[in-house]
Amino acid sequence: MSKFRQAMLIVLAVLLAALFLLPLIWMLSTSLKNDFEALAGQMNFIPKKPTLENYIQGLNGELMNVPIMRWITNSLSVGIIGTAIVLLIGSMAAYALARLSDMPFRKTLFSMFIASLMIPGVLTFLPMYMEFNGLGLINTYAALVLPYTAGAFGVFLLYQFFISFPKEIEEAARIDGANKWQIYTRILLPASVSIMVTLGIFTFMGIYNDFVWPLYATTSPEMRTITAGIALMSQGSYTQAYGKLMAMTTIATLPVLIIFIAGQRSFVKAITQSAVK
Amino acid sequence: MKTTWKSRLSSSLFALPYTLCFAAFMLFPIGYGIYISLHDFELLSQEHPFVGLSHYIAIFTSGSYENSLFFRGLWVTIQFVLFSVPLLILVGLGIALLVNALPRKIRGLFRTFYFMPYAISASVMAVIWLMMFDTNAGLLNSMLQKLGIQSIPWLTDTPWVWISLIATTLWWTIGFNMIIFINALNEVPEDYYEAASIDGANVWSKFKHITLPSIRPVMLFVMITSTIASFNIYAQPFLLTRGGPGDTTRVLLMNVLDHAFIRKDVGSASAMAIIMAFIIMIISIVQYRLTYGRKEGN
Repeated sequence: MSKFRQAMLIVLAVLLAALFLLPLIWMLSTSLKNDFEALAGQMNFIPKKPTLENYIQGLNGELMNVPIMRWITNSLSVGIIGTAIVLLIGSMAAYALARLSDMPFRKTLFSMFIASLMIPGVLTFLPMYMEFNGLGLINTYAALVLPYTAGAFGVFLLYQFFISFPKEIEEAARIDGANKWQIYTRILLPASVSIMVTLGIFTFMGIYNDFVWPLYATTSPEMRTITAGIALMSQGSYTQAYGKLMAMTTIATLPVLIIFIAGQRSFVKAITQSAVK
Repeated sequence: MKTTWKSRLSSSLFALPYTLCFAAFMLFPIGYGIYISLHDFELLSQEHPFVGLSHYIAIFTSGSYENSLFFRGLWVTIQFVLFSVPLLILVGLGIALLVNALPRKIRGLFRTFYFMPYAISASVMAVIWLMMFDTNAGLLNSMLQKLGIQSIPWLTDTPWVWISLIATTLWWTIGFNMIIFINALNEVPEDYYEAASIDGANVWSKFKHITLPSIRPVMLFVMITSTIASFNIYAQPFLLTRGGPGDTTRVLLMNVLDHAFIRKDVGSASAMAIIMAFIIMIISIVQYRLTYGRKEGN
C-alpha cells in the first residue's frame, strides 16, 4: 500500500476516533464546570474556572439531594452478587450437562436453555414485574438480582468449554477416587479461570448497565441503582444542571470503563463466542 | 460408568440450582404472561376476571384505543428499524475494514476508541447526548453557531429527532458490530487474497468475491442481532425525545410499558408484549431462513 493511502487512512481513523471520544471528553469537562458555565453554550473543553464542587457534593450526598454514593454501592453490590451467582450455578449446570451423562432429562433441559436465548426480553418483563410484585419483592435487592440468574448465555458458554475439556484428566481423577464435586472444584474450575473471567466481565457489565428493569423494580430513592437514578434525574427538575448531571454520569461510568479497558480482551472474546453459533 | 440412582441424583443436583432459577425467572414468567393476557389485570386491583382473547381482539379491532396504541408504536418502531439496521451493518463493516487496514501497531488502540461507548449504560448515554443536543447550550449547536449556521432543534423537531436517535444509536452500539466484523475478517484465509492478487484482482473485486462471501454467516448474525436490538429500542426515545415531537418517536415498547404502568392495564399490555415478542421471533426466523435457504439452493 502506498505511503499516501496509509496516511489518509490514519487521518480518517483519527477523525473518527475524535467523533467517538468527543462526547466522553465533553462529559468529563462539563463535570468540572459550575452550572453557570455549563449552560453558557460555549465550546471550552478546558473549564475557565475548573471546580471539583460537583464531585464533592456527590460524595457528601448533597448533589441534587440524592444519595448517589448509595446508588453506586447498590449497583456494585447487585452486579457483584448477581455475577457470582451466575458463575456458580452456571458452571455447575454446564458441568452436569457437558460431563455427567447419567443426568436425567439432560438433552431436554439443554435444548430448553438454548432455545431461551432466542426469547425477547419483552416477553418476560411484565409478568416478571407482576411475579415480584405478587411476592412482595418489588423494591428489594432480590428483585434487582434474581432475574439475571435465569440467563442461559453463561451455561451455553461454559458448556462449550467443558465439552472440549480432555476426558483423560477427569478419568484419572476418578480412578484416584475423586467424586463429582471434587472433579468440579479441583479440576474443572481451576482449568476454566480464563473463561470464567470472560463470562464474569460480560455478566457484570450487563447487570451494572441495565436500567429499564431497575427503574421499574425499585420505588424508593435509597434502592435505586445508579443507572435508574440517572434516568430519573435526567427527567426531573435538574434537567439542565449539566455540571451536576455530568459529575454523576462520570462517577457512574468509571467502574465499568475501568473494567472494560482492563478486561477488553476477555469482553471481546465473549462477544465473538456468541457469534460463533 | 455406573448409573445407580445415587449417581443420577448427584448428577442432577449440579444442574438443580440453575434449573430452579430458569424455571422461576424464565419459564414461569412466560406462562404467567400468557395467563395475564387472558385476564383483566388492573395493576392495583385484586380481582382478575377471565376475558379470553378479548385483549388480543381489541388490539386487532381497528378504531379501538389498544389498536391505535399498538400499531402506531409498531409503525414508529419499524421506521426506526428500517433506518438504523442498514447503517448499523454498513458502518460497522466499514469501521472494521478501516481498523484492519491500519498499521498493526495502532489497531488495538483505535479498536478500543470505537468500542468504548458500548461500555456505557443506556441512561448515561442518553444524558450525555441530552446535553450535546441541547438547543441553547448544547455543544453541537455551539459549534454550528461558530460556523454561522442556525441552531438545530435536535430533539424537538422532525426530521432532526430521527437523525439524533440514529446517530446516538450508532455512536453507542456500533462497536459491537465492528468487533464481530473484525473477528470475521481476520478469519478469512490469507491465501485466498494472495491467489486473487496473482490473478490481478483489484481491491474492490477482492472485497466482492472473497471478503463478502466469506463473512456472510456473520453478516446474518449481525443483521439478526441488530434488528432485534433496534426492535427493542426504548432508552433513546424514552430519555432523549420522550416520544416527541407529538407521538412521532413513541416506539412500541414505550407504549406497552406506559399502558401497563401508567394506565395500569397489565392484561392488555401483556397481550401487546406477547404479540411484539412474536413479531421479533418471526423476523429473526425469516432472516435466518432467507440466508440459509439461498445457500441450500446453490
